[in-house]
Amino acid sequence: MEREDSRFTLIKEILPSETLSIIGSLAAGIILSLLLLQFKSFPILILLIPALLSLRGNISSPFIARTAKDLIIGDFNKRNIIENILSTYLLAIATACLIGLFTFIVNFFFFKLEYFSFEFFILIPLISMLFTLSLVIVISIVLNSLVFKFGLNPNNVIPPIMTAIGDFFNVVFFYLTLIILGVP
Amino acid sequence: MEYFIKIIKESIIIVFISSLIGIVTGTFLSSNDEILNTIPFILLTLPAINSLIGDISTIMISRLTTQLLIGSIPPRIKKTQRLIEDFIGLFLTIILSLIILLAAGYIIAYYMELKLMNLIEVLIIIILTVVVMFVIIFLVMFMISILLFKKGKDPNNFLIPFITSLIDFLSPFLIILFIIIFI
Repeated sequence: MEREDSRFTLIKEILPSETLSIIGSLAAGIILSLLLLQFKSFPILILLIPALLSLRGNISSPFIARTAKDLIIGDFNKRNIIENILSTYLLAIATACLIGLFTFIVNFFFFKLEYFSFEFFILIPLISMLFTLSLVIVISIVLNSLVFKFGLNPNNVIPPIMTAIGDFFNVVFFYLTLIILGVP
Repeated sequence: MEYFIKIIKESIIIVFISSLIGIVTGTFLSSNDEILNTIPFILLTLPAINSLIGDISTIMISRLTTQLLIGSIPPRIKKTQRLIEDFIGLFLTIILSLIILLAAGYIIAYYMELKLMNLIEVLIIIILTVVVMFVIIFLVMFMISILLFKKGKDPNNFLIPFITSLIDFLSPFLIILFIIIFI
C-alpha cells in the first residue's frame, strides 16, 4: 500500500539511490568515452548512443514503474509479470530496429560516413538492447519485490538505482556487441 | 493477454516518437559540438544531469499514477496538500542531488585535468537549467497525468518514455542557450 510520504521521507528514500545513480552515470560517461574512442567508426557510434541510452530509459523505466504499481495495488501476479516482460521485449525489438533504420537514414543523407553496412545499424542497437534489458528486467523485479517487502516505496527507491545499473551495463553491452560483431 | 495488449497499445507510438527525439538529440549534439567542447565540464556532467532530471521525473510520474489509482490525489487539476508535499520533497531532493553531482564532477574534472574556465557561470547555468526544467516538468506532467488517468490510460506508459527523451533534448538545448546568453 502507498504510504503518505512526507517531504523528508521522499528525501530520505530518494537521495541515497540518486547519489548511486549520479556516480553510475558519471562512471558510464567516462567508460563510454574511453572505450569508444578506439573505434574507427566512432563518428557513427556517437550518433547511435543518445538514442540507445534514451531507449533503455524509455523501455525499462515504464517496466519498473508498472512493476512497482502492480506491487502497491496488489496486482503483482505471474500473469501480469509475464505479460509485462513480453510487451517490454516486443517494444525493445521494434524500437531498436527503428533506431537503426533512422540512424542509417540520417547518416545516408547528412553525414555520409561509410564505416559499416546497413545490417550493423540494426544489429548493434538490437543486440546490445536485448542484453541490457535481460539483465535490467531480472534485477528490477528482484529489487522492487525486496524494497516493497522491507516497507519502502519502490517508486522512490528503484528508478535511480536502475538508472545507474542500466546506464552502466548499457555501455558495457554496447561495447561487447561491437566486439562480437567485429565493428571497425 | 489483456495487460500485454494494453501496454503495447499505450506505449508503441510514444516509444517510437521518443526514439526519434533521441536521434534528433544526437544530431543536435553533433552539430553543436564546438560550443560544448569549449566547456568540457558540461560535457562531463551532461549525461548525469540528464539522468538526474530523468530519475526525478520518473519518480514523479510513477508516484502520481499510484496516488491517482489509490485515490490519495483526486483526478482534478487542483492544488492539494499531497501534491505540495511531493513538489517540495522532490525539489529539495533534486537540489541536494545536484550539489552532489557538481561536487563529484568537480573532483573528476580536477583529476582528469580538465580546464575549469568560467566555473561560476557554468555552475549557475547548470543550476538554472535543472530548476527551470523541474518546475515546468512537474506542472505539465501533473496536468497531463490527470487528463490521461481520466481517459482510463496508464500515465506510466505514455509519460515516462516521452519525458526521458524530451529531457535528453531539452537539457543540452537550454544549456547551449544559456551559454550563448551568459558567456
